[in-house]
Amino acid sequence: MSFRKIFTQHIHEEKCHSLSFYQKNGGYEQARKSLHDWQPDDLIETVKAANLRGRGGAGFPTGVKWGFVPKNTDKPKYLAVNADESEPGTFKDRLIMEKNPHLLLEGIIICCKAVGIHHAYIYIRGEFVFAANRLQNAIDRAYSEGILGENCLGSDFTLDVTLHRGAGAYICGEETGMLSSLEGDRGQPKLKPPFPAVEGLFGCPTVVNNVETLANLPYILEIGAEAYGKIGPEKSPGPKLFCVSGHVEKPGVFELPMGISLRTLIDEHAGGVWKGRKLKAVIPGGSSAHVLRADECDVDMDIESLAAAGTMLGSAGVIVMDETTCMVDALLNIMRFYHHESCGQCTPCREGTGWLEKIAHRIAIGEGRMEDMDLVTEVCDRMVGKTICALADAAAFPAESIVNKFREDFVAAIENGGSPAWIKRHPASTGGAATHV
Amino acid sequence: MSDTSNELISWNLNGEVVQNESGMTIMEAAKAHGIEIPCFCYHPGLSIAGNCRICMVESNRSPKPIISCSERIAEGLEIQTDSEKAVDARDSVMEFQLINHPLDCPVCDKAGECVLQDHSYEHGPDRSRFVEDKNIRHTKELGPTIDIWGNRCIVCTRCVRFCDEISGTSELCVVERGDRSVVDVFPGIPIDNAMAGNTVDICPVGALISTDFKYEARVWNMDRTTSVCGGCSRGCNVEVEALDGFVKRLMPRENLDVNDWWMCDHGRYGWRHLYADSRQVTAQTTEGSVLPAEASKALQQTLESSSSTGFLVDPFMTCEELHLVKQLADSMTGSRVAGWLPADGTEESFPGGFTISAAKYPNRKGVEEIFGADVFGSAASTLLNDIASGSVDTVVAFVGGHGFDGAGAEWNAALSSAKNRVVFTTQQGAWSEGAHLVLPATAPLEKEGVWINEDNRAQRVRSCRSLTDQNFPSELVILQEVQAHMELRSRSLSAAGVFRELSESSSAFEGHSHSSLGDHGTPLSQKPAAVGSEGGES
Repeated sequence: MSFRKIFTQHIHEEKCHSLSFYQKNGGYEQARKSLHDWQPDDLIETVKAANLRGRGGAGFPTGVKWGFVPKNTDKPKYLAVNADESEPGTFKDRLIMEKNPHLLLEGIIICCKAVGIHHAYIYIRGEFVFAANRLQNAIDRAYSEGILGENCLGSDFTLDVTLHRGAGAYICGEETGMLSSLEGDRGQPKLKPPFPAVEGLFGCPTVVNNVETLANLPYILEIGAEAYGKIGPEKSPGPKLFCVSGHVEKPGVFELPMGISLRTLIDEHAGGVWKGRKLKAVIPGGSSAHVLRADECDVDMDIESLAAAGTMLGSAGVIVMDETTCMVDALLNIMRFYHHESCGQCTPCREGTGWLEKIAHRIAIGEGRMEDMDLVTEVCDRMVGKTICALADAAAFPAESIVNKFREDFVAAIENGGSPAWIKRHPASTGGAATHV
Repeated sequence: MSDTSNELISWNLNGEVVQNESGMTIMEAAKAHGIEIPCFCYHPGLSIAGNCRICMVESNRSPKPIISCSERIAEGLEIQTDSEKAVDARDSVMEFQLINHPLDCPVCDKAGECVLQDHSYEHGPDRSRFVEDKNIRHTKELGPTIDIWGNRCIVCTRCVRFCDEISGTSELCVVERGDRSVVDVFPGIPIDNAMAGNTVDICPVGALISTDFKYEARVWNMDRTTSVCGGCSRGCNVEVEALDGFVKRLMPRENLDVNDWWMCDHGRYGWRHLYADSRQVTAQTTEGSVLPAEASKALQQTLESSSSTGFLVDPFMTCEELHLVKQLADSMTGSRVAGWLPADGTEESFPGGFTISAAKYPNRKGVEEIFGADVFGSAASTLLNDIASGSVDTVVAFVGGHGFDGAGAEWNAALSSAKNRVVFTTQQGAWSEGAHLVLPATAPLEKEGVWINEDNRAQRVRSCRSLTDQNFPSELVILQEVQAHMELRSRSLSAAGVFRELSESSSAFEGHSHSSLGDHGTPLSQKPAAVGSEGGES
């Protein structure tokens, strides 16, 4: 079966985001069927059979997650759609919401029918003003056309969808951090257990799904679990949006089957490394993933293959760095981000992210010591797996891998009095005496 | 506090199979077996935050170390608290906690009772690998009694949770993120509630500092007395901490039947009266001062020259003092006893279950138990009438407590009109001026004995031995000396001895003793098991 694009097929056409355009191309048919013809349990079984894996970063099987929600509960159940796309190098959900908002809404209807949810919240990243407007217009339109609200699409099912704009915190993309923020609290992850499926939003059972995950649902119902499972590798099938940024000729979002090779993605789809330069490093799954050296890039872009290569698919934000990149500066850039975004709740992350940034900064301005490379590794070891959420891991993975895979850059910065960019800006600097900038 | 049921769970702690009630957290259950797992953010009176991570232990159920303050024991769970992995996790947290901490223990008021300091000795590195500049966070006033030294804050959020859950006032919050996080108040809304002082106690570091205690003493130099607050009839259990005879601060003492872990600020800061300029510190007659050793003789002579005596007792007196007054009154024909009560304040209750009583005195129940329920009612009006009519010519008044208003306007006027008056008073005032004999009284924190709180719980109070207290014999001593002079008593007893007399003569106190009351008190109705009473004849 040839690969058919489901997210990006029409994005270059005029009015592709409109309801009439969406319906003309078969939109809301699967939602209608799910509301009228499908039993909730069959929907969950189908999604399990399709082996749809979460597209937010962790890759948890979506149907299994739905199955954790208690069937007999007096409490209301909620769907919290994670549209707080804040992983550096990732911009796929934004594309769906801007160009194809009704696809997301249709996915939401199917999910809510399957789990028995009557209120869905979409938590959208604050900076996505355009996407939020588009999505709100789509929601309003869906309400006025009877797609949402009472008696969705002529069924006896009621579904309300509320769009909530975040304030731009990375940590609010973590599922429980997002729930805290949605509840009006400080955006901090919560202790697990209890897991959101049992005790989530407002203390009620909650499904938390990523935008792209939900947008897969109409297609799964359309072609069936079996056919869907044959797209890409068996363990993590399906169409996938890959975001390629950095030093390539044609950065952008590419819809390809899961399991495409990283080289093909960069060289064929993204136009190759820019300016005819050589590849130096790739972070394959958003900035939280372990970095790959150029010689490690013969790998397939799916969950299992990347895990085997010692990194992760994550959010599929592929960040490409060419041979001119100084990895000391790359480390500093990434650590500055995590230091800024750590919520400050857990000790190892609160203190560790700041420490890593300070070390990276010191090396970059020529005050580094040879033992700092091992210190970075040890600090990372002490952060991983010791916190409530995965932000500490997300900071430690790139730090530890950058330092250990590109040791020569660090040795050069320590010996030469700073990173090349620093030396260029401060030609008289001999290191050590430089003032901080 | 976790929900526990009686079902026993078998689990494995450091290689040994142990049993605990289901529902307990690993930390609680380990503690029951003598293994103390360190913690910063955990407090038994607050919700679980799980953010400090120091309590991580190794589990057979998880590849990562787990936090023992929130995870519960389960059948077959195997926990290692001292394995390499657990120790490394703990050491990691200590290293992280200390990198931005100023380590200013020499000038920090918390030093000596600081959880961070304690854990640092046990688990911390002896030198730092951190060569960077430390973060600077704000040092500012959070409210009238509390300052924050932000650099010391480890963001455990105990204080924030306290204000959310116990006082229900929610003044505190964490501002900023990451290692810039620090506790603060909302602009223009200081922390100013009647329980605010507890946030300083539960701060595991020296971030929250009581302005009342700041720079007053090093905590290891102070003498601690296990006692009870006399500020209201709740009777919160406290530790009185004094340096060289001067009280420096009061700290709440855990008692889940009375005050949990808390006390109110009225009680906490309500000890300044001990050192007031108007404090009565010597005995005086209208002719001049009386030596401490001669005070009881002077009192005896006054009593013996009196034709009818009225005793006016107050609800600050201990049951022992009241018992001695009763013995005296019973021995003197035509004498009568009444009591006075300070005016009621306002009752304050808090969402966490803590209540400040409106009755601003500690031992009304004790007075009523010993002298009868009408001691503050009809007996008081009778005594007032008798003083006015002159049928009582001598009044012995006990004007204790922490107030500066004597026994209240009505009694103060009545006392002044009495023919002869003996006043035991803590403060000088119109009621003591011109008295036949004025004797210094012990203030609430200086007494030895038993008070009975509003729930009929008998609790031991102990003297903090403030300077005033050391300079003059207490009522307990003087009253016994008077009894000795009057040949009612052959030898003087300690407070415990007087209480034994009381328990032998009163059915309400029967069976109780100072030792059986212990540090946490006992309801008066709950008789302790008799010790050795079934022994054979000797």
